[in-house]
Amino acid sequence: MSEFAKEEKVKSEIEAKFGGAVSNALVQRKNRVWLDLAPEKLPELMAWLKAAGYNHLATVTGFDEGENLGAYYHATDTRIIITVKVKTPRSNPVLPSVLKSFPGAVSYELELQDMLGIKVDGLPAGLRRYPLDEDFPKDEYPLRKDWKVEEYIAKNPLFKPEAK
Amino acid sequence: MSKITIPLGPQHPALKEPENFMLVLEGEQISGATVNLGYNHRGMEKAAENRTYIQNLYLIERVCGICSHSHTTTYITNVEELAKAETPRRALAIRTLFAELERVHSHLLWLGVAGYEMGFETLFMYTWRDREQVLDCLELLSGNRVHYSINTLGGVRRDVSAEQKAGVIKRIDYLIERTNYYIKLATEEPTVYARTSKVGMLPPDVAIERGAVGPTARASGIARDVRKDEPYLIYNELDFKLITHNTNDVFGRLVVRALELVESYKMIKEVLNNLPEGPIAVKVPMRIAPGECVNHYEAPRGEDIHYLKSNGTDKPERLKVRAPTLANLQSVAYMMEGGWLADVPLVIAAIDPCMSCTDRAVVWDPKKGKKQVYGWEELRKLSIEQYKRRGVDFSRL
Repeated sequence: MSEFAKEEKVKSEIEAKFGGAVSNALVQRKNRVWLDLAPEKLPELMAWLKAAGYNHLATVTGFDEGENLGAYYHATDTRIIITVKVKTPRSNPVLPSVLKSFPGAVSYELELQDMLGIKVDGLPAGLRRYPLDEDFPKDEYPLRKDWKVEEYIAKNPLFKPEAK
Repeated sequence: MSKITIPLGPQHPALKEPENFMLVLEGEQISGATVNLGYNHRGMEKAAENRTYIQNLYLIERVCGICSHSHTTTYITNVEELAKAETPRRALAIRTLFAELERVHSHLLWLGVAGYEMGFETLFMYTWRDREQVLDCLELLSGNRVHYSINTLGGVRRDVSAEQKAGVIKRIDYLIERTNYYIKLATEEPTVYARTSKVGMLPPDVAIERGAVGPTARASGIARDVRKDEPYLIYNELDFKLITHNTNDVFGRLVVRALELVESYKMIKEVLNNLPEGPIAVKVPMRIAPGECVNHYEAPRGEDIHYLKSNGTDKPERLKVRAPTLANLQSVAYMMEGGWLADVPLVIAAIDPCMSCTDRAVVWDPKKGKKQVYGWEELRKLSIEQYKRRGVDFSRL
């Protein structure tokens, strides 16, 4: 479509460069491009995006898809938002870090670790956890669908002052 | 000289927002800084998954005290995109009006805080007095000073009448006059320049690398503004300048915000004088068909971005919110390194991390047709009585 020439152009460039690793690439509407990516290619694609002018990683959305855990990287040149989706198995969720290209993403990656339990390979050691509290259980991940607020409240005496 | 590490915050590092900075000092000079966050995590993204789209509107409004309209507008743009709703043009214009009034209120508040942090308390008193005018505008239009709740699915909740329009324009005219004085002050007063120049430097390449947004990025010469880059609401029809400055320091951030005020006044008048006719809302179904979308918005502090995924029910599958301050905090650590301890509050305040305010309420009795204004003491008394009825006694506290 000539209507979305710029979007189609970046989509086909990514497909040409990363061939087998990219699937379901889609121009959703003006200024929105979505694609799925094999996780091992993530740092390489993010470096390519940065060099191509998509130098602002707006945020990373973590998502519980059931069998897999997903992370959606929203990179933008402030006009076109390219959302790169990667998946990692729930049994052993690990994703490579993109800090080499986007050093500002450190809080987004910490959030993936804390909220969904996706281990991010390549985060510097010695960082405090974010965004959860220091004494929040280390093996519970609130944004997973099987984590229920009611259960957490029920087993935590802090929330029941009348029971003291 | 030996190094010493001191914590700054989480209690009131510069503003009332809890955040912690670990500063490595060599004498009075900072040789390293790390930012620690998460003291205010409220689990809103999880909470949003258990609420309907309309309930979420009121939850999202409370993400931030000042950017309440920014967050709901971003959220609602996503919901309307997924529901394929055709929002009436008059509603979009009214949302734009509120967005710019909110920017004025936020920037005036910031000017005051900046004045306070640089030891120029007269400026703080002046701008906060003048800020009351824009809060009055918001109250006049929506009934509320801070959480305006003007947005609803498919449009806005209240229309703008001719009297309201006149009331807003009268106040904006006063603010234009005052702001011209502040711009003169910010750009010509030697003490302001001496205190803010070369403080909290952020070169453009670092700003891009660390993902800075909003006035913080624009003061480093980066022309980044969602209103221009991907116009939403009715910004593509409005005439306004994208303000940038190239000094990369707190002085630049001061000038950018002061000049942006002028652009906002221009837009407010333009919107009010050209309000399109027509309805202010359309109906949006309770259930939203499965889909996903991402939208951004230029909040007073910078780019605010939301991701929304729907699953065919009346509740979202996933809502992701990234507020502008989170994007800017990575730059703050850089700004502080190599600087002086005494500059820290000014540097932190210069990205305008947010805070909220409200301590009064008006109760209207429709049966008696009476209005009563409750002050802090009365509200406190009422709440103590209410808890007493439930068996909890706070009266001795």
